[in-house]
Amino acid sequence: MRIYLFGYGSDDFLARVVVTPDERTVAQLAAQLVAWGLAPERGGTLTVHNELGDVLDSNSTIAAAGLGNGDVFTVERG
Amino acid sequence: MVLRRDDWLDLARKVDWTPRYVDEQEMFPAAVSGHPWLTHDAWIDWNEAYRTTYREYVANQREKDAAVLGVRSALDKPHLFDGLDLGWVQLVKFHNGAVALAEYAGAVAELRMARFGRDSAWRMMSTLGALDEIRHTQIPLLIGHDMLAYDGNFDWTHKAFHTNEWVILAARHLFDDMFLAADAIDSAIQLNFVFETGFTNLQFMAMAAMADRAHHHLFEKTLASIQTDEARHAQIGHPVMRTLLANGSRERAQYLVDKMWWRCWRLFLALTGTAMEYLTPLDARTRSFKEFMNEWVTEQFMKNLAEFDLEKPWFWDLFVEELDYAHHSFQLGLYTYRTTLWFDVAMPDDAEREWLNAKYPDWESTYGPLWDRLARNWKAGGESNTLSYGLPALCNLCQLPAVFIRPGRNTACTLEMDGRRYLFCSEPCRWIFGQESSRFADHESVVDRIVVGKAPGKLTDLHVWMGLEAPVETGKDLRRGLDPWRLNPIPSV
Repeated sequence: MRIYLFGYGSDDFLARVVVTPDERTVAQLAAQLVAWGLAPERGGTLTVHNELGDVLDSNSTIAAAGLGNGDVFTVERG
Repeated sequence: MVLRRDDWLDLARKVDWTPRYVDEQEMFPAAVSGHPWLTHDAWIDWNEAYRTTYREYVANQREKDAAVLGVRSALDKPHLFDGLDLGWVQLVKFHNGAVALAEYAGAVAELRMARFGRDSAWRMMSTLGALDEIRHTQIPLLIGHDMLAYDGNFDWTHKAFHTNEWVILAARHLFDDMFLAADAIDSAIQLNFVFETGFTNLQFMAMAAMADRAHHHLFEKTLASIQTDEARHAQIGHPVMRTLLANGSRERAQYLVDKMWWRCWRLFLALTGTAMEYLTPLDARTRSFKEFMNEWVTEQFMKNLAEFDLEKPWFWDLFVEELDYAHHSFQLGLYTYRTTLWFDVAMPDDAEREWLNAKYPDWESTYGPLWDRLARNWKAGGESNTLSYGLPALCNLCQLPAVFIRPGRNTACTLEMDGRRYLFCSEPCRWIFGQESSRFADHESVVDRIVVGKAPGKLTDLHVWMGLEAPVETGKDLRRGLDPWRLNPIPSV
């Protein structure tokens, strides 16, 4: 199912809307957000948190990680 | 023998009467006059600090208008742009679009108080206030019209509030809440006590000082002239506040103050903060936006709170933290989404960056790398490489992009209500929404509308939906790129 989420990249300056199928993985979601930010070429691992600050399993699907329409997630590098 | 002013003024101000055909509650229904509903006895001591007669009002306003129009005549239309910095012209365009018709809406608020205010002295002051606000609409419209011959986008002075442009939607949302959809009491606290006593000083007096240094004397005269009116009718708020506090409504009064302080801060960081520090020529900058905020707004606000023994808003620490960062983050948003604006946006040059870093010691380390990145993007792939193409997330209360306070410091939060998930840029926005959810819940942000298909998702179609004729009207890089030779004439239609 296609859902919309609000993503914050830790080296970006505002939240961006990400529309994505929720069968994709959390890692793919993070990569999609970072690609839209101002430093897409920067390397390093990406860690994804939900609004409560819990770290989400990057191999999990977005749906299985508990993210649904209108949720906020944060991607941190390093 | 002619009576002296002081012999008759009190009689003329206080012309309340006892209605015989309707009762007081029918004449002043709580839904429009406001809560708490009190009998007129509670309002009988309503007094403004500086009293004005209609005769004095007309004489003063005539003089003020003559001063503004005198400068306009002296400058002569062909020279309206002479000597003006390009960034400053954009600042005026931004200001005119965001402010001119908001003033007209302010006239509606004043007229509501002129009918439903609970004491005749209040109603008299509001009648003059309504005339003020009409004047504050007409002057920018006149000057904006003069500027049309040189820059077609000055038609946004009139057009902006009739569009779905996202900055204007945010402004409308605030002004609807502050006064158009507010009763007389709430308007007096939110508009007169908070907005006009504090924030308009910034937009009109501080900006007037900058206009003087930017050699835009017509704009300077206009702003200063408007603020003298604002200062007079702003005093409506104080006696209303006094009556509320004397009649057991301290909690309500504190809420209205807290709410409107935060909401005004949100709009002013977006409008005034960015304009002062990214569109004002360096030699016209007398102080930073933060310094102006502290001196002109916060200091006055603190005096007002102390006068009424009110508390500082609970989110004060967050506000203080945001003073150093939020408008700088917002500027990056304006720049990268500039095609959705009716004015041009600047990338700061080296001298401006030095100034910003002197005023905000974290500026270069926080924002420098992001602007460097945009400059590199331009070199590598041209202007289109410096634009954001994804949608920014918008706050469901302030309707502005949910920017970080600074990169890495995220204050966004959500609220689930009746099967809908709402996004907020910050805890204060969520708190305000929660306090009056029935008032705000049905509103859909631009992004909400795009997501459900009520507004187009394709940028070119979205321009049309927002009233922007691309590419003539859409905002561009102020300097048309990294190289000065790229500078095009100011677009005109």
